[in-house]
Amino acid sequence: MIRVDGLSVSYGAVQALRDVSFEAQTGTITAVLGANGAGKTTLLRTISGLVAPRSGSIALDEATLTGMRTEDIVRRGVGHVPEGRGVIAEFTVEENLRLGAMISSVPLRDGLAQQYEWFPVLGERRKQAAATLSGGERQMLAMARALIAQPTVLLLDEPSLGLAPLVTAQLMHTVAELCTTTGLTVILVEQNAKSALRIASRAVVLYLGRVVADDVAAVVAQDDQLRQYYLGMVK
Amino acid sequence: MSSFLTSRNVADVLGGITNGVIYSLVALSLVLVWRSTRILNFAQGAMAMIATYVGFAVLAPTTSYWVSMAVAIVAGLLIGGLTERVIVRGLYGKPEINPVVAMVGFLLVLESVAAAIWSTGSRGLPTPFSMVDWQLNHKPVALSPFALYEIVTAVVVMTVIAGLFQFTKLGLRLRAAALAPEVSRLLGVRVGRMLTLGWMLSSAVGAVTAVLVASNYFTGLTPTAMDGVFAFGFIAAAIGGLDSPVGALLSGIALGVILQFVGDYLNSNAIILVALGMLVVSLMVRPNGVFTRSAQRRV
Amino acid sequence: MRGVRSNQRIVAGTALGVAAVLASILGVGTARAATAFSIASVAFVAGATLLASREFRHNHPVAARAAISVLAVDVSLVLTAFFSATVDDNLAIGAAMSIVLLGLSFLTGSSGQISLGNGAFMGVGAFTVAVWANHHPTTPIAVVLVLAVVAGALVGLLLGLPATRLRGPYLAGMTLAFAVAFGAVLNLFGTWTGGDSGLQLPAAVNAPAWVLHFFKPGTSSLTTNSVWLVDITIVTAGIALFFMANLFASRTGRAMRLVRDNDVAAELVGISLPRARVIAFIVSAAYAALGGGLWTLINNAVTPSTYGFALSVTILSLVVIGGIGTIPGALIGGLIYAFAANVIAWFTAHTGLNPQGNVASQLNGIIFGGLLVLTILFAPTGIAGFVRRRWAAWRAR
Repeated sequence: MIRVDGLSVSYGAVQALRDVSFEAQTGTITAVLGANGAGKTTLLRTISGLVAPRSGSIALDEATLTGMRTEDIVRRGVGHVPEGRGVIAEFTVEENLRLGAMISSVPLRDGLAQQYEWFPVLGERRKQAAATLSGGERQMLAMARALIAQPTVLLLDEPSLGLAPLVTAQLMHTVAELCTTTGLTVILVEQNAKSALRIASRAVVLYLGRVVADDVAAVVAQDDQLRQYYLGMVK
Repeated sequence: MSSFLTSRNVADVLGGITNGVIYSLVALSLVLVWRSTRILNFAQGAMAMIATYVGFAVLAPTTSYWVSMAVAIVAGLLIGGLTERVIVRGLYGKPEINPVVAMVGFLLVLESVAAAIWSTGSRGLPTPFSMVDWQLNHKPVALSPFALYEIVTAVVVMTVIAGLFQFTKLGLRLRAAALAPEVSRLLGVRVGRMLTLGWMLSSAVGAVTAVLVASNYFTGLTPTAMDGVFAFGFIAAAIGGLDSPVGALLSGIALGVILQFVGDYLNSNAIILVALGMLVVSLMVRPNGVFTRSAQRRV
Repeated sequence: MRGVRSNQRIVAGTALGVAAVLASILGVGTARAATAFSIASVAFVAGATLLASREFRHNHPVAARAAISVLAVDVSLVLTAFFSATVDDNLAIGAAMSIVLLGLSFLTGSSGQISLGNGAFMGVGAFTVAVWANHHPTTPIAVVLVLAVVAGALVGLLLGLPATRLRGPYLAGMTLAFAVAFGAVLNLFGTWTGGDSGLQLPAAVNAPAWVLHFFKPGTSSLTTNSVWLVDITIVTAGIALFFMANLFASRTGRAMRLVRDNDVAAELVGISLPRARVIAFIVSAAYAALGGGLWTLINNAVTPSTYGFALSVTILSLVVIGGIGTIPGALIGGLIYAFAANVIAWFTAHTGLNPQGNVASQLNGIIFGGLLVLTILFAPTGIAGFVRRRWAAWRAR
């Protein structure tokens, strides 16, 4: 379980997050929704220690993550798939995966086999440079690279960005399956609220750095006011 | 055949390669830190020179060239690591002239300190192999055992570095940290440590280079012995592209050979002028280097 | 309120002027004629009075800059009368260095570039003066100095062309290669440049007859020729300062600062980046050459070893320690250079170091190099920036 408590973050004079608190339960998907600039990406970057908060705390189960270095947070089992995919284009598919597997206790060969089973297309292209992959394939690679480290928490930043709906659905399906089978905790940041709400069990809505709603996903999905004002969804 | 091997042009090529591998090593050393930290290490030559002085401080008691070489390499590793931790760390993310200024200042400090401790006089260092050229039918081939030793050493260093980067887990992490520091951190790579390690490796390569330069009795070891070598190494690296290790190696050797011909057929004072001209022209034609795939600067 | 303040300044300026006149009377017969002091005092009072008016500074910025330059020259000239010939020489060397630093400061301040070759550009000017004077000894020195500037600008253009496309470290590396190559270039043209031993000027530069007549009737030479050269150097530095102040404030100068801060924005505003960069480079080279030319005149000779890579590094240190990219920074750097050798010699004497020893002879490099690293790490705006911040904090209290 990830517990975020009273988190505030500023970039210079600009306050990106104000007193944000919520919990993400083990084995579930928590969607973090909001318009551009709501602070969603900042939230994930703060959880993985890339951004230092001004105040507040983040805890993974009983351990405090605040103040720890990114490398150590990641080694504690928090996987982060950054926005814009973040695959290393100069590396081959397999090199990307090998890099992700370095902090895993599972033997490399087993880890690779597992990922190639989940994402067969990566197996076919494992000797290719990541630069040659399509957008969807890169997203799969980024996801596989995070999963191969055997994380207990997965932070997903806009996985559907720029992907065809069918690919998005397939990715979401994989994520949902992992939660039920392995007890993975997922925090899913999305601008595309519709697809996220479909698989999430809980949803947190951010608006200008504040939490404006934190409820069961189905309830958020039904709330017309939320949908209109904060999520930009048409009825 | 034998007259071919002892001809003037072949002599120039062989002599050029012998000089060129030194430029390649300096260029490689520069590329190693440029790729990971985007800093052009103007103190590279001076750091290597200090490592060599340290290495040869143990020469008298041990009388072993090879022990001195080993000590110089270890000193190089330490100097590189310390430099990164103490000076370079404060320069990341600063305007691009700040690291230039800092490393030039460091260069001046190192050269002055070396002169203060060991004086500006040249030290003749022992040469492990003869510098007399081999003979073929009583005519010299422009290659001596020492020159061959230089070339072999350079090849070994390059192979070790290439192997380390291409085939080891550490190499994968080093490359990742250089290419995508933030993503690497998200995968648990200790990027700060990798940057330090990159500087250590670069500095060790420099130390080997400086030992080779200093054991050549035509140059010897002085506090400024590496200035000229550094200039040629930089020119090679800039022509080849500071991002391309292979480019650095090839252009170092090419530069050595071309300049050997210039010195032989034109005038030895024209060598650096021609090198400078080549740099100016190549930078105007390919600002990112001949061997770098041209990438537009992002807006 | 404003009026009162202006009046205070006028009073202060006048008082200084009167003090200068008194000093001149005391100084008669020791160094200069009273006439010189009188002229200096009048100029000082006039300049200070003008500058005291905020309206004047606002409405006539060019004239105000001229007044500042004149004042700076005036004060320096008066001061030289109180110092020994050695100190005067130091001042002249430092004033010439200020010119070089102004050039480098403009390059960095306006376009964010750095040059590690300005010592060699100085050498270009220094050797132009020496070579020309040896072949045409009768050419007036003003003309010879102009030739030095032109030579510097031409070499600057040649090396500056790649600056159109290069980013900082590449350009810095190229200028470093130039600095290292300079010695070999001199050797290549050894028949003109005198090779390793350099050149002597055919004759010392003498003050013209009317100057002698005016200041010391009845004598054939000014106290020493070096005094005349000190005057020339200070006046030249004043002119260089005037031009540079205008350049910094000009449309081009402001446009270049835009280039430094954000080259994409500059392109959008319609400034030709390549041209702006090359111009900055040429100006810096020309200024360096002028400083080098003056050095040759002051020393009456030129040696190639003076213009090695070490000088380029020293220039960089001075400009960074003084405050990079600013005019006051360049002037502070020049002042530091003028007396650094004396301070270090004093330090050596008082610490009991062997003045001929290895350590003493390297103190210069250790101190300048160390200050360079420390300044860029902990106070990148240098002394000028530090003073400006203190001043602003003090005013804000």
